[in-house]
Amino acid sequence: MVSTIEDDIHHAFADLPWLLEPGDLLVVNESATLPASLPATSHLGEIRFNLSTRFADDLWLAEPRWSPSRPGPLPLNMNETLQIGEAKAVLLQQYPGIPRLWLTRLDTPAGLLMAKHGEPIHYSYAPAYPLSDYQTLFSRFPGSVEMPSAARPITPHVLDTLRERGIGIVGVILHTGVSSLEIEDNTVEHQALYPEVFKVPEATANAVNATHARRGRVIAVGTTVVRALETAWTPKGVRACSGATGLYIHPGTSVHVIDGLLTGLHDPITSHLAMLSAIAGLARVKRAYTEAIRNRYLWHEFGDSHLLLRQTAN
Amino acid sequence: MKGVALVTGAGRGLGRILATFLAGQGHKIVITSRTAAELDEFADSLESTGVRVVAIPGDITDAVHRTRLLQETRAIGGLSLLVNNASDLGEIPRPELAFASLQRLRLILETNLVAPLALIQEALPQLEQTRGLVVNISSDASQGGYERWGIYGSSKAALDLASKTLASELKLRHISVVSVDPGDMRTRMHQDAFPDEDISDRPLPEVTLPFWAWLVSQDPERITGMRYQAQGTLWEVPA
Repeated sequence: MVSTIEDDIHHAFADLPWLLEPGDLLVVNESATLPASLPATSHLGEIRFNLSTRFADDLWLAEPRWSPSRPGPLPLNMNETLQIGEAKAVLLQQYPGIPRLWLTRLDTPAGLLMAKHGEPIHYSYAPAYPLSDYQTLFSRFPGSVEMPSAARPITPHVLDTLRERGIGIVGVILHTGVSSLEIEDNTVEHQALYPEVFKVPEATANAVNATHARRGRVIAVGTTVVRALETAWTPKGVRACSGATGLYIHPGTSVHVIDGLLTGLHDPITSHLAMLSAIAGLARVKRAYTEAIRNRYLWHEFGDSHLLLRQTAN
Repeated sequence: MKGVALVTGAGRGLGRILATFLAGQGHKIVITSRTAAELDEFADSLESTGVRVVAIPGDITDAVHRTRLLQETRAIGGLSLLVNNASDLGEIPRPELAFASLQRLRLILETNLVAPLALIQEALPQLEQTRGLVVNISSDASQGGYERWGIYGSSKAALDLASKTLASELKLRHISVVSVDPGDMRTRMHQDAFPDEDISDRPLPEVTLPFWAWLVSQDPERITGMRYQAQGTLWEVPA
């Protein structure tokens, strides 16, 4: 579905190259998905231990859950030790404002644990598919715990057609943490967001600025790309930038860089949906979602795609 | 095993939260503050969780105390993380700079600027050996120019510049220096600064934990010279 100011029109995904104009630029997330869901034993018995955000090999933000379908927060204690196979994970502190997440010290590098015990994080609405199903054509740098899924439907054929049409494709990196699927607070303004590690390379910053200079459109492929690009924005344009970003884009924030967003369909009261409203306005998002529901669109990472354009093509 | 960390002003507030995190993360820690009872109670609570901690009450403006602290860090492996967190807010209510007591100004600079610098100077051999990191705790008052924040703000502005300068000077010796503005927090110091205000809307100092987790996980030499806002939206690693 393509949503513009005027309307919402249904298309097949393979139409994408023809929905954009030569000179437009797609920006994809090159972060690859890790098998970040680990089985663990706590004083509560067998639980799921989903890694979320890597600070260091032995220091992670993580989400203990009852099971893939049953979230926390679990009644765990500070300094409690979880067993993951032979390894130990010590819960250091609860994340401020997000009690289901814990800062955790591992006695074994997470890479080894994931290689041995990990599977992709999944929730009640989908089974665990093989890890390769959670990668896109652009997945190059492992670090996300949930698939940056917006680029998933881009096939080699679509990619070739985009290039033939003169539509540029460049990458940023943003390693996703666990999604805010089960929300802590029922207002968008109070969504606590944790920082995510990102990088906007110089070549990408230059491509974005050049696209804008010749009045092309910059289309983010995924909300993660919006977060990275908007973090790297300055009044003079986008700059090369890396680190950790806690930027929360909601209807109260300005969106400076992107002219459109290709994304999936998001749950109510999530930070993703708040971002969509910041980009297109709440009324248009509501209109589009009504249309999507009426046409039985599929939600989540293996679902349908939605291209939101801030304005129609010139 | 992580290295040895020294946290000043660790008896309560931000220093206490940070020291707890560093200990949990596996650092050997040396903590100090002026209030002995508070510091001992904190040390006991840490030790009850099985953490080894060296707690030495005292005033960081006292050269003998500083030397003692650094003897302890050397004895347990050599200092690799120095957190200059102790600071003096000065007179309450805060006076206007134009009419402030110069004698008190000197005292505040002694705690907020001279003592941290003295600790750094004396710790250089240890920090060089460990390729260590110095974190100087700053404040938005260092840049604000807010009324009645001139004394504290000036001391923190001076500390910021000292951090940046030291970062340049010590680069070739592989010692890194950053300054960190933790942002508004619900601490004793913040309440002292706003005695008549309800500060319960400010976050507890735990709000800075993600930043500390991030900071101590960086390669110090890549971030040296930076000034961070712990509650800010971007923690940048320069290219």
